[in-house]
Amino acid sequence: MARDGVVLAVEGVSKSFGALAALTDVSLSVRQGEVFSVIGPNGAGKSTLFNVVSGLYAPTAGRVSFLGREITGLAPETINRLGVAKTFQITNIFPEISVGENVSVASQSRAAVSGRLASLWRRADVEARVTELLEAFGLTAKRDELAENLSHGEQRYLEICLALATEPTLLLLDEPTAGMTPGETRGATALIKKIALARGLTLLLIEHDMSVVMGISDRIAVLHFGEKIAEGPPEQIRNDPRVIEAYLGPPEA
Amino acid sequence: MSRVFGWRSAVAFAALAALPWLPGVPKYYLLLAFDALLFGAIAMSLDLLIGYTGLVSFGHAAFYGLGAYATAILLERGILSLWACLGFAIVVVGLYAAVVSYFATARRGIYFALLTLIFAEVVFTFFRYTQTFGGSDGIQGLPDALVFPGVAIDTPARKYYLVWVYLLLAYAVCRVLVTSHFGRVLVAIRENEDRARFLGYNVQKYKMLACMISALLTGLGGAIYPIRAAFATPDLMLWTESGEFIISVMIGGLGTLVGPIIGGVFFTLLRDKVSSYVDWYFIVIGVVLVVIVLFLPKGLLGLRRALGFGRWRATA
Repeated sequence: MARDGVVLAVEGVSKSFGALAALTDVSLSVRQGEVFSVIGPNGAGKSTLFNVVSGLYAPTAGRVSFLGREITGLAPETINRLGVAKTFQITNIFPEISVGENVSVASQSRAAVSGRLASLWRRADVEARVTELLEAFGLTAKRDELAENLSHGEQRYLEICLALATEPTLLLLDEPTAGMTPGETRGATALIKKIALARGLTLLLIEHDMSVVMGISDRIAVLHFGEKIAEGPPEQIRNDPRVIEAYLGPPEA
Repeated sequence: MSRVFGWRSAVAFAALAALPWLPGVPKYYLLLAFDALLFGAIAMSLDLLIGYTGLVSFGHAAFYGLGAYATAILLERGILSLWACLGFAIVVVGLYAAVVSYFATARRGIYFALLTLIFAEVVFTFFRYTQTFGGSDGIQGLPDALVFPGVAIDTPARKYYLVWVYLLLAYAVCRVLVTSHFGRVLVAIRENEDRARFLGYNVQKYKMLACMISALLTGLGGAIYPIRAAFATPDLMLWTESGEFIISVMIGGLGTLVGPIIGGVFFTLLRDKVSSYVDWYFIVIGVVLVVIVLFLPKGLLGLRRALGFGRWRATA
């Protein structure tokens, strides 16, 4: 375990796309076992930050380290194998195979046989883990259903199942409740928190829905136009004038 | 071994093994059956890429043709051992396939298809214009190969059993692959390769390996062709040949292995029957293909379900 129980350290990360600076000198550190949220209005650079951490983009400047090891610019599959899993804002599953097969292919990624020659003929026994995950998310009855036939809320859960199946230390959740009704959102938020606790996971969560974040986060960072404008526990963020301004616009003169 | 051979495939292979023993089967039909099963086996090998991995190769004729030339070159020089021919084909096709796989899998979709096609055209052109290998005539009049010293593959029945064994082994290899860890990842890549990367899979490595295996199986099929036909010509590498492999996969049903075998057999028999009556046989085959794609999108194997014969799933 790294110094001070820091799981993820983002140090001075900037990312530009041509002339557009999506992230400017963003730093944050996520500690072991906490729920850390990144919020901000649309276009604040939240997803870009996730894409840098998970390996889709290499940052223009700065470094990212996971458990004390630098992971800046590594490929997504490499970062995943180190223990970082990511869910997607837009549901990203394997549509035309069954729910059970979806979770199986994700689980076997951590099987001993994975990446070895024997994987050409052997098949890892992932049955127990698949059953457990489907059970935790209430998808047991849908196991043989094609993933594309699930309801939106169920697909969001499957999305999380896929990430969890790779047994991460750090789970990146990109708006896990996107498109859910307020009722579903409450249920999902409670479930995510429960599962994170039970597995000792560290969560990094992106949200633009403030109500989701306030209830579940230990600490919150706020991004605005690619810069971090505040960081602290929920109470502090709720009352920070710069955060209120970013969300509601400048106070009337 | 139930994972590989269910009772249906066991019965089918037993029936195929009995074919030469049926009274009154003319030699010509055994050779036609050779062509049909060979075409089916190659379509099945291609199905690993198209149906399971979601990669459409337009260059399988090059693997097929290279395998055929490997055998022809040895037979022409008096090296008659079947095993030497197969070994040489594995080396030649393997080296070429490693290069093609490496570059083609670096790109997706249409670019993958075009790269495989371009590589194959280069190989075709090389053999078409290289006089050492007979130019456009290819290598003709080859002697029979030997299984063991003194045992020649000379009769139609022996040639037929050669393709039977090849189909049996290729089918077993494909069936094991698609039910393995590896096969599951291939299906995930077909479904959503970006997500597969975020689950820790090095997608290009998997694609390359799938390409290599498909290419080697196809190349071995090519390697036994000159043993039946006594020649190898550059036409075996023509892009239309690659197209016919793809058509057979589609006729039979993507991602089913058995479907493409049936597709390849169906295609070969249809071409043989129609072309013996008319020159424009491809029009008839085209119409059949259009009808199948429109009304049987899951191919001939999909007919079974359409007619209510039990449940059948596309993959895994």
